[in-house]
Amino acid sequence: MTTSAYAIEGIDMTRRFGGFAALDGVSLAVPHGEIRGLIGPNGAGKSTLMDVLTGRAQTWSGRVLMDGRDISGLGAVERRRAGLARSFQRTNIFPDLTIDEQIRLAAATAERDNSDEVMAELGLADLAHRRAADVSYGDQRRLDLALALVGRPRVLLLDEPAAGLSMQESMVLAGILRDLAGRWGVTVLLVEHDMEVIFSICSRVTVLHLGKILADGTPDEIRRIPEVVTAYLGSSVE
Amino acid sequence: MLINILNGLVYGGLLYILAVGLVLIFGLRRVVNFAHGSLFMVGGYVAFAVAAVSNFWLALVAAIVVLAVLGVILDRFVFRPLQHEDPIATVLVTFGLLLVLEDVVKTIWGKDFLSLAAPPLLAGTVSIAGETFPVYRLMVIAVAVLVALGLSLWLRFSRIGLYVRASSVDPVTTGMQGVDTDRVSAAVVAIGAGLAGLSGTIAAPLMALSPSMGSFILIDSFIVVVVGGLGSFTGAFIAALVIGQVHNFGIVYIPWAASMIPFLLMVAVLIWRPTGLAGGRA
Amino acid sequence: MTDIAAAPSRSRNVGFPAVLAVLGAAGCALPFLVQSPLLLTLMTQATINAVLATGVGFLLRQNGTVSFGHAAFFGLAAYATALLIKFGLPAELAIVLAVVLPTLLALLLGVVIVRITGVAFSMLTLAVAQAFHELFLKWRELANGDDGMAIAFPAKVFGLDIAIFQQPASMFLVCWLALVGVILGLWLLARSRFGTLTLAIRENEERARYIGYRTVLPRAIIYAISAAVCALGGLLFALYNGFVSPGTLHWSLSGEALIMAIIGGPRLIWGPALGGVIFFFIKNAAGDFTDHWPAVIGITLILVTVLLPRGVGGLLVWLGRRAGGGRGE
Repeated sequence: MTTSAYAIEGIDMTRRFGGFAALDGVSLAVPHGEIRGLIGPNGAGKSTLMDVLTGRAQTWSGRVLMDGRDISGLGAVERRRAGLARSFQRTNIFPDLTIDEQIRLAAATAERDNSDEVMAELGLADLAHRRAADVSYGDQRRLDLALALVGRPRVLLLDEPAAGLSMQESMVLAGILRDLAGRWGVTVLLVEHDMEVIFSICSRVTVLHLGKILADGTPDEIRRIPEVVTAYLGSSVE
Repeated sequence: MLINILNGLVYGGLLYILAVGLVLIFGLRRVVNFAHGSLFMVGGYVAFAVAAVSNFWLALVAAIVVLAVLGVILDRFVFRPLQHEDPIATVLVTFGLLLVLEDVVKTIWGKDFLSLAAPPLLAGTVSIAGETFPVYRLMVIAVAVLVALGLSLWLRFSRIGLYVRASSVDPVTTGMQGVDTDRVSAAVVAIGAGLAGLSGTIAAPLMALSPSMGSFILIDSFIVVVVGGLGSFTGAFIAALVIGQVHNFGIVYIPWAASMIPFLLMVAVLIWRPTGLAGGRA
Repeated sequence: MTDIAAAPSRSRNVGFPAVLAVLGAAGCALPFLVQSPLLLTLMTQATINAVLATGVGFLLRQNGTVSFGHAAFFGLAAYATALLIKFGLPAELAIVLAVVLPTLLALLLGVVIVRITGVAFSMLTLAVAQAFHELFLKWRELANGDDGMAIAFPAKVFGLDIAIFQQPASMFLVCWLALVGVILGLWLLARSRFGTLTLAIRENEERARYIGYRTVLPRAIIYAISAAVCALGGLLFALYNGFVSPGTLHWSLSGEALIMAIIGGPRLIWGPALGGVIFFFIKNAAGDFTDHWPAVIGITLILVTVLLPRGVGGLLVWLGRRAGGGRGE
């Protein structure tokens, strides 16, 4: 089935708000099975990039390819059905449904229903029949991830999945993510402020700055670029 | 033909004054006042009562003042306590108020139609394109134009006005700027309610006063607000002009289906632009 | 957030159909126990109101939106019965179409207006009601305006004597069984995957799209189903009264149906029906000693919204759970 070396590819993506280019001719290609980190300061265009890739953005130019197939014309619903899933920066779940109900609902649009597997892997099985509003914040974050992971999407775009979690919780989440992505062959594009998470699981990292790509390389290479360190990594990396 | 257009402007003007009050309140509180038509109706009756012992102009001022005070009370005891609740709660409570206000007015003034005479100063007619047209109706159009001008100046240049405009675009960011929201809100709801009083008073000589007079115009003003794009001042202005014209056109040429025309127009606009004429973002 | 539309308690237990069957059977015994024709008439009217309220409440429960316009579907069903029979259709066909046509209309209209959410949706539904009310009021050649029209039912419909539908004792049974059937049907629907999907859309429309669901059509279908229930109520009304007037389309009837749903508790499938019955009997009782029924009901609506957002039904469930020591879900 695979017709391209890249699972997800954005070509010359531009999005303007008035005169301001939130995304200015960015091209990005993630090979199959890679976990790619996307970092940059607030306002660098990370979420805008996610919106363009997932079909959330209304007006933009450029092209988006999945497995070499042009999906630029597809809406958010079709892209998800084609195997492109995403999570959101803010916890974005269905508070009034039980965990079981919402995961099964999400699984029903995929080719295969692996709800039980996902709940077990993410440690949600014991909470399956609780309302999402009634479980802890950490559980809600894992539920958010589960809603994106269920049905084994081919490409997963994660917008700060560890936001608000303790360092320990973040590392557990990162471990689960690396494990599942490896076993299920999911290609991941990960936006994250927690550099520990990024450097521990990403094989390559792209740095975005003012709507353009500033740098791209392995975690080690990125760590060695002085302006990246001073500007974005700050003291979180010694 | 020209006369029909003028009559359409009269109704559009009344609708605009009422609808813009709804837009003001929505911009700040993110709620819709279902009792707004009742405020219009109460305004008409207050004017009727005051005019009986004095004159039209004093009645007009009294109606605006009384309704502005009612607006402050409404904000303090309904909108503010419910501001963190689901907006549906405010819809239901103001709908309850609508029933109560109609009943109160019915108790005081009865069910029968009452009429308020136009002031003698404006009682005559003028000749326009060979046909006669009441001076009073021209005055109604003029008042609507003045309200539109006054509001746009106020929104552009006053401190509260700027705040209201910013808030109607982005309530969250605006809310963080340390303005005393409760005082601004009370002022804005008072203006909205005062405008309903103004609209009710100047409408009174054109239509019979009855406790249910508010519900009819409430529905048309809702169409105006939604077609214009909820929260948009310019949208409400354009929509009121259009709805005023089609309403009048319907009444003159196809009276049996007059009510369907604004409705079908609304459906057509929403198919074309789900967020209304001025609605940019989804 | 208030709990007006939030968190319907999804009865997972299959005990619900059993309880419903018992209540259904108990209701069927009522006409044999109640001797007063006046009371039977009131009970029949209350049950028809309960059907209407159930439709409005279901929309609020599944879509989280408040409609002030569902009397349009109630009244259109009644008018469709009258007009189709007048135009010479067999009464049986007219009766079926009386529910089908308003439902289709609601589906078409729904596709447009459910895209408008929140308070703007409520504003639009008022316009829906108003448009049809004025049409039937003003188009005198079609429907005889304010005077309304008598419905020329034949002596028998579906092989049954028409008197069955017009005598309070037998008609109460018909309406009661219709109400029980509607509640059971909606309960099953709410438990289905489609029911879960529409709740998910109500909760978080954006995320529903990002787990791969289109969101407009499901909401339009819920709108149409709720309209169908109200149309069934309108049909029962037409059968029972043999007469229809523009009042059946008026927004004030929609408003009353909504108030019934709020009083009863729209989080529960059966809450609005309970509210309908409560509303109807209070209205009759209040009518004996006050002329201020609208104010009474307005104040009731305000108090229930603020103090008892889950309605009387929610209160009953809460009391039941306390009495039962917090059993079950």
